[in-house]
Parts: sequence; structure tokens; C-alpha cells
Amino acid sequence: MSHYLKKSFVLGGALSLAALSVQAESFNWASKTDPQTMDPHAVNSTPVLSFLNNIYEGLVRRAPDMSIEPSLATSWEPLEGENGWRFNLREGVTFQDGAAFTSEDVMFSYERASSEAADTRSWFSPVTDVRIVDDYTIEFLTNSPNPLFPSSIANFMILDSDWAKSNDAVLPAKDSENFATLNVNGTGPFTVASRDPGVKTVLVPHAEWWDTPTHNITEATFTPIGNSATGLAALLSGDIDFIEPIPLQDVEQVESRDGFRVIEGEETRVIMFGFGHEHDTLLYSNDVTDTNPFTDPRVRLAAAHAIDIASIDRVLFRGKIEAASQLVPANISGYSEANQDRPAYDPERAKELLAEAGYPDGFSFGLKCTNDRYINDEALCRAAASMFAAVGLDAQLSTGPVRDYWEQLRADDFDMYLLGWSPGTFDIEHPVRFLLHTQDDEAKLGSWNFGNYSNARVDELLPLILKELDPAARQDMIDELVKITQDEVAYIPLYTQPLIWAVKDNIDVTQRADNFFMLRWVTVN
Amino acid sequence: MLDFIKRHEGLWLFTHSPSVMIAAIVALAILIGAVFAPWIAPVDPYDLSSFSLMDGLLPPVWEEFGTSKFPLGTDDQGRDMISSILYGARLSLIIGVCAMAIASILGVGLGLAAGYIGGRFDAVVMRIADIQLALPAILTALLIDGIARGILPPELRQDMRVVVLTLAIALSLWVNFARTARASTFVQMNKEYVQAAMMQGQHPLRIMFVHILPNILGPLLVIMTVDLASAILLEATLSFLGIGLPADSPSLGTLIRIGMQFLLSGEWWILWIPTLFLIALVVSINVLGDFLRDVFNPRLR
Amino acid sequence: MVFFLTKRLIQSVFVMLAVAFLAFSLFRYVGDPVSQMTGVETSVEDRERLREDLGLNDPFVYQFVRFTGDLLKGDFGYSYRTRQPVAEMIASRIPATLELGLVALMISLLVGIPAGVYTALRPRGFATQTILMLTLVGVSIPTFVIGIMLIFFFGVQLGWLPTFGRGGTVSVGGWETSFLTIDGWRSLILPALTLGVYQLTLTMRLVRAEMMDVMQSDYIRFATARGVPMGRMYFRHALSNTMVPVITIIGLQFGGVIAFSIVTESVFQWPGMGLLFLESIRFVDIPVMGVYLVVIAFFFVLVNLIVDLLYVLIDPRLRISDVS
Repeated sequence: MSHYLKKSFVLGGALSLAALSVQAESFNWASKTDPQTMDPHAVNSTPVLSFLNNIYEGLVRRAPDMSIEPSLATSWEPLEGENGWRFNLREGVTFQDGAAFTSEDVMFSYERASSEAADTRSWFSPVTDVRIVDDYTIEFLTNSPNPLFPSSIANFMILDSDWAKSNDAVLPAKDSENFATLNVNGTGPFTVASRDPGVKTVLVPHAEWWDTPTHNITEATFTPIGNSATGLAALLSGDIDFIEPIPLQDVEQVESRDGFRVIEGEETRVIMFGFGHEHDTLLYSNDVTDTNPFTDPRVRLAAAHAIDIASIDRVLFRGKIEAASQLVPANISGYSEANQDRPAYDPERAKELLAEAGYPDGFSFGLKCTNDRYINDEALCRAAASMFAAVGLDAQLSTGPVRDYWEQLRADDFDMYLLGWSPGTFDIEHPVRFLLHTQDDEAKLGSWNFGNYSNARVDELLPLILKELDPAARQDMIDELVKITQDEVAYIPLYTQPLIWAVKDNIDVTQRADNFFMLRWVTVN
Repeated sequence: MLDFIKRHEGLWLFTHSPSVMIAAIVALAILIGAVFAPWIAPVDPYDLSSFSLMDGLLPPVWEEFGTSKFPLGTDDQGRDMISSILYGARLSLIIGVCAMAIASILGVGLGLAAGYIGGRFDAVVMRIADIQLALPAILTALLIDGIARGILPPELRQDMRVVVLTLAIALSLWVNFARTARASTFVQMNKEYVQAAMMQGQHPLRIMFVHILPNILGPLLVIMTVDLASAILLEATLSFLGIGLPADSPSLGTLIRIGMQFLLSGEWWILWIPTLFLIALVVSINVLGDFLRDVFNPRLR
Repeated sequence: MVFFLTKRLIQSVFVMLAVAFLAFSLFRYVGDPVSQMTGVETSVEDRERLREDLGLNDPFVYQFVRFTGDLLKGDFGYSYRTRQPVAEMIASRIPATLELGLVALMISLLVGIPAGVYTALRPRGFATQTILMLTLVGVSIPTFVIGIMLIFFFGVQLGWLPTFGRGGTVSVGGWETSFLTIDGWRSLILPALTLGVYQLTLTMRLVRAEMMDVMQSDYIRFATARGVPMGRMYFRHALSNTMVPVITIIGLQFGGVIAFSIVTESVFQWPGMGLLFLESIRFVDIPVMGVYLVVIAFFFVLVNLIVDLLYVLIDPRLRISDVS
């Protein structure tokens, strides 16, 4: 490791010398988890993609409001006569090692990112072929009209083909390391000066970056701090300049101190309860053993009516959440405004519905929750269990760490469960594809639909929605789909998770709804 | 006669030491509170329908916005703090005492035998102890939890959390007993009284438990009291690391773990009331432990 | 002696094998590594292929044999989380944990032994009662609460000491040490105190108990009667007789320090092995967990061996019973 570090130190040293002409501004920031790898195609997870977006770039990128803007491609248009997109690439872009950026690098990165060794390959499942037209033009062919394709590859990061080949990093490392695990060579605004995984990573600006820097950082140091109280202490003591997230209950404390600021926003992640739609019996019931009451939509609706979101918001989330009516929040494309009402808090109605369904005294069942995945997830489930109890739904709560949670859900070991979903493509199609479509491993659909909610019309609508180019017609189909899932109470959407960042007063940062932290939008005053 | 004097003198020591008296009163009060929690506590904190989120985060009665309905305030779920603490102390004591009992029986038995028999048996016991020491408590807990999950039907798993936790704590504590008992036994083995008993041909079990055990009780009693305390704390720590008791049936440790979230947010009572309660409990256990040691250690006669 | 050492070394290998076996048998209960290694969009088929490639579908015994076989060949494997060689990851974290443990142990012994002797000699004194009370309160608060309170008091309120990490370290022949910089020492103070306070109380109470026992013994009474000077008696005769249990305790404590450092390291974001282990559990990083446990087992075996050798040196009478 020291070998790598020494080498990258030399590189970093040269770059920071170049930047010294500007006023030196060092910036320290912290978050909960360390990016596992510096390889942009090895792991498709927020900590990795967020961090690497400072170093590598895609053909397109997201603006602060999440809209798509040109990055390594200056423009793009649908192909004529066939399905797919043409990207016109930016000229004069150089990688951090000085190599020039051309369409060959895009081709190489596509092959790398869509290989079996890559975790990002699902992005390219609609792609049938990629053609280089010339050094600065490239075409992606898709199996059907795909209006969402450019925005779905915003995190598809380009690396230099020669660099990867000469360093034996043609494919992402899966069960061993390779050069790209610790070393970087992107076109982005920053590059890695030194990295000690899990301890600290130092970034310095890329002097030859093609875009005009809006930041004034000369050196940025990232430290992962897992314990939230320790992280908060590090901020308040001045050891770090920025941290995300901080616990909701500490917001007031930070705001009341001089020299600190809290930046609140709404993430795109919707928290919801899911049901075992296809289970024949309850697993964790003391009284109902021969059937699964949750197959009756009236029972599911009763559960929805039992939840008092306003109190959860006031007490557990200090008024910082937005109640949700569907699987995406209002700022996501495709959000169905026609269906923006959620079942009201109405315990009496819930009891009536249970009685109608044949459970006047309610019944007991198991509720599975994480305790380290979402903000206040355990407290939420405890509160929900208490609210369910008030209408006769006796929830046997079981909370645990996320590390074996998905495995339990995949093994159908639940009656009702907690889930949070952030739409990766920032369109409602994403949760429909993963959470609402019937499970279908072949077609790679419904892979997170643990309870296997299944509705023929929903399955029929999804491909139509994906292909439709006319926004109004598309929205009509989405409205129909959302209506069905609300009527059937496929899930109980609860709220949108808040984003809570804390910074020192002299720092300006820009918050984006996907919770990516972009160093190029940081200024130290 | 000797017993009478011992008791008598113990009584004298007891009534003439204010700290011991206070400790005894505190421990007794907590014990009674814990044992009779279901009858004393205003609400049953395990009954989800007995509290409401609407009452969440209420401060103790003497603070602004406090209400006499919840004299020590409520936690973030609207659960009465007094009830949570009484039930929590009950659970903590059960886990602590059981874990300590299992650990000391296992540890002292093995340590004594290892020291007495020596040779291959000693080597095996000590190597097992090494294995145990090399597995951090968190992993022992994970292992037992894993085994329980493998063999128990789903509906029992949640109820077995307490047993799993107790066993995990006991297993990570027995080595202290074993190693101390073994080391002290070595020293005693060379004493004349042991040699004499051996020469008389007394049964080894009799020598171990009647002759040697009382003479090595001093350090063991210290470990016992310290370990009762650490069993209670270990449970809290395991909760902190994410594998303790679930938040809906909390022990004192779990209450502290939950309260930690409110360290800075102004709701001090959620953290500090259970913490003070735990300190009071553990300190009195330790004071009483010291006292018992002074009274029952035959070497001090 | 040589025979004794050889025997112990052979036993040690078995201990480490047993730890590795136990560890391996529980890994499957920790969670599913593949879910942690892949993103939400990864298809079922890709996840299955990864599982197959990592050998997670192989029978348990086969996986275990492969793991130990690789270990014996000196191949410690690659982390699932960072894809780095496990040997490098653990080696780079060892100095942080050992230095923290060492300082904590020093605090425990340098304060604990004198305090134990003092409180044994003046059992009814006011200072004794105060010390006993304070240390009792100290051990009655869970370590993580103490750590965070120290951070907030000395780090945030007073701003005297750093709140996390090791601060400035200097590399001496590949060993990253905190001992050579002021910043490094400042960063060490709070975590070492947090880790040491519990051990300190244990040391103090054990020394006190032993000391009080010894003070009652016949030969000390004889010595007193013969007019041996008090100071000499306490430290030459009495204290040296308490050494066997105290050395046992130091050995145990070193174990305790390593085990408890998991919590301390997590609170202080101290980049040691404990923190690495916790991260590995959270991520179900089986290769790192496995090697960590084997390394820890090695430490314990080594410490116990040294303790047993010290017994023999300090108290020659033990030689007969232990060695034969």
C-alpha cells in the first residue's frame, strides 16, 4: 500500500503546487461511510458514486436541481431511423495524467462498466450496441425507444483506456484488488493525493479541468466517522468543516451555536411498509395461523389508516419530514399529482375495515425493521407498532442491522416490513420496475418486490411507460398505475426522508436531492 | 458458635458503616422496585397500546411543560420513564445475576479443577479459555444468536433474545473466574493444610470445595461483584454495538443506548435518569460486595 | 523448559485453528456479503454469479479448509469491502490498537497498583473511601457514555483535545506511531483514559484485595513482630506476594484492553483493528473478520504464554505443578 501512496503523493504534490497560486483553502469533511473503492464501476452505491463524482465524470451530469446538463458530452440527440442516442463529445478534455479524452475512452468505459465484473451493468441492459462515429461522436443503440437513457447514465463515469490497460485494470476488481481500486485518473475537478482506506482520503484540484472552477478549495480531506455523536463533536470543536448527516434531534443544538449552520432538504427516498402479498399464512402470529389477513386489501388499508404521520413527524422527526402518498416524492418526474392524497389517520375507520374483513378484534403479526439503515428507523417502527396496537393490530416488532436484513426479506421471512426506496433514475419508473412489477428474474424486474405484489395491469403499463415519448400520454398511464397501487394498498408509503447537513458558517455548499456531495460547489469564505 | 460470631460481627460492621447501610437500602429499594415492577409501575411499557406518541418527549414534572402524569417525563415514544426504568432494572438484574451465576459456576469449577488436577486437564481448560478470550463478547453474542436463529422457530426468536444475551455475557465472563481460581489454587496447593488433607486421603472434590474454595473466595468475591456490574454494562455495550435487546423491551442498558441519541438535544432526562439509576445500582452492588468480602473472608478472621 | 515451550506452541496452533473454525462457523449468521457488495440495481443473476465466484456456495467445511490452507501458505485473501489485501489492511491497523492498549494499560497499572496498595493499608481512611467511590462510579457508566462525555467536555466545550482519530503520526520503519508527535499524544489522551478507567478500577481492587489478604498472613505478622520497617515490609514482602494474581490480571487486562478497544475505537473513530473489525461486521467482510480473529487469538496465546512463564520466574514453587 505504501507503494501506491508514495506514488500518488508525488502526483498530488505536483498538482497542489500548481494550485498554490490561488489562495490556499483547505476543507475537511466527514460522512458515515468510507467509499469502499476508487473504481467507478465496481460498486453501485451512493457513498462510492457520490465520492467519485468529484474525480470522474460522465457524458452528462446533474445540476443542483437534479436536471441533466452537458458534461463530457456537449450535446446529444435521438438517432433517426433506429432506437438509440448520439452523444457529441467535448474536445480538449484531458485526464488527470494528461492523456486526451476521446470516444475510444467512452467505448472502453462502456465495455468495462457493462462487463460481468462490474456492478453497474444493469444501467446498460437496454443497450444493444455502441458505435464510434469519430473521435468525438459516439452512438448508443437501445432495444426500444428509450427517452430516459441519457439521464439514466449520469453516473456512468469515464476512465482513460490507456491508463487502465497499462495498469492492468481493464476490468473492475471483484474479489481481489487492482490498480483502479486505490488509484484514480478521471477528467473531473479533483484527484486523489493520498488515500488510507477507512481513515482518510485527501483530494486536490485537477489544474487542467475543462470547466471553470466555482470552488476555491486547494485541498480537501475526507474522514469517515461512523458514530454520529463523534461526528457532531468533531464539527462543533472545529476539527471538520462539514458533516452529513447529523441526527435530527441535534439540529437545534447546532443552529443555536455561533458559527454553524444546518442545511435541510428533502431526499428522494420514500420510507414505506411492505406486505407479504403472496404468503399463504402469517409467520409470526399468535392467533391467526391458517391464513394471511394481509392478502385482503381492506386489512392493508386499515393498517394505513392506523398510522398517524403528523405525530411521527412532530415527535420523532421534529417536523422535518414530508408525508408520502406514493413511492416517489413530488420532485421526481412522473409523480402523480392526481393521486397525491394518502389514507388519513383514522383509527375508527381502521377498526371498521378490520371488522368488515372478519377481524373485529384484530390479530397479531410480525413487523421487520432495520435499526441502522434509515433515519430513526427503529423509533419509527416502535411508534408504528404502538399505533397498530391502538386499532387491534398487534405487531411483534423485530429490529436488526441491515447486514442480514435483505437476506431475510429475500427468504420471505416477514409478515410486514420496512423499506426505503430512492429512485435511481429520478423517475417514477424506477420504483415501479423494482417494487411494483411482479417478480421476474429473467426480465430483471421486481427484484425488490419482496412480498411479490402482482397486478397484470401494472405489469402491462410499465413497458409502455418506459417507451412513451409524449409526456402527457405517459403521465396518464402513470396516473392510472399509481391509482391501482393506491387502491390495492400495494405498500403503505409513509414519508420522504429528510437530508440534514451541517456546516461551519464560513462554508457555502450546495445540497442536491440525491445526497451527492459535490466539492466543486464548495466555497470557503 | 463461629458462625454466630461471624454473623454477629457482620451485623456490627453493618450498622457501623453508613455507606454500607445506604448501599443496602438503595440496592434493596431497586430490587423491590424491579421484582414488583408489574405492580408498582404506572404503566406496562411492554404493552404498546398503553402509551402514545402524542405524549412523547415530555420533561420531568419539575421542569417547564412537565406533567404529574409522568413524574420523570417520557421518552421519544411517549413511554413513562419510571415504568421503563423499573422494568429495565428488572431485566438488567435478571440478565446480570444469571450471567454472573453461570459464569462463576462454570469458571470457578473449571479453574479449581484445573489448578488441582493440573497436567493435561489444566492445559485443555486453559486453551479453551484462550479460545474464549480471543472471541470478543460481540462475536460470542453473534455466535449464540446465530445458533439460536438456526435452531429456534421464528416466533420464539424474539423471546429468546434475553436468554441468548445472558449466555453470551456469561460465556465472555467465565474466563476471569477460571483463571483467577486456577492461579489461587496453585498457591493454596502448596499450603500445609491442603497437603495434610491430601495425605489423609480425603476425596479430591472435598479438598477442592471444602478446603481450597473458602480460601480463594477473597479475589473471587471481588471478581464476582465487579463482574455483576460488568455483566450489566456489557449488556448495554452490546446494545450500543447493535446486538443487544430490542428497544421495545428495554433493559437499563438499552434505555441508556436510546438516551444517548438525546445527549445534546435538550431532552437530558431520557439519558441521565436511567444512567443515574444504573450508577446507583452498580455502585451499591459493589459496596455490598466489598462488605460481604470483608465479612466472609476467613483469612480476615 | 524447552519441552514446556514446545508443548505450549503446539497447543497454541490448535487454539488458533479452533478460533478460526468457530469464527468461520458463525460467519454465515452475520449476514449476506453479496447484498453488501452490490448495489440495489444489481440483478438476481449477477448476485448469484458473484456468490459463486466468491466460493460462498461451497460446503462449509470446504470453505474452512480453503481459508486455513491459504492462511498457512501466507495468503490472507482480499477484503470483500475494499478489495484490498487483508494482510495489509490489518497490518496497517495494528500499531494504532497496540499503542492505545499500551497507554491504557500503563494508566491502569501506574495508577491502579499504588492506589490499591494505599487503600489496602488505610482501609478506613477518608481518602480511601473517596477513591473507592469515585472509581466505582467510573466503572458504573458504560464506556461509550464516558467516551462521548469526555469528547464533549474536553473536545467541544474546552476545545483542548482533538475529538477523533490519531492526529499526527510518524512512520518508523513502517510502524505508524503516535508517540513521537505532540499532536499524536494529544489525540491519545481521551481514548486511552476511556479505555483505561475500567481496567484501572479492576487493578486497584484486585491489588487491594490481595494486599489485605497478605497483610493478615502469618509471616507478615511475624515480620511486624520482628520489627521489620513498615515501608520495606509493605513493598518487599507484602506487595511481592501479591504479584501472582496481579500478573494474571495484567494478562487478562491486556485481553480486556484489546476486546474493549472495539468500543473505544468506535467512539473515537480510532483507526485500529477494533474499528476495522466493526466495519467488517457491518459489511459482512468475511476475510477480514476471519484474519482479525486469528490475529487476536495469536495475541492472546502469546500473552498467556508470557504470563505462565512469569509465574515460573516469580514463584519457583509453581514450577513443579505447572511444568510437570
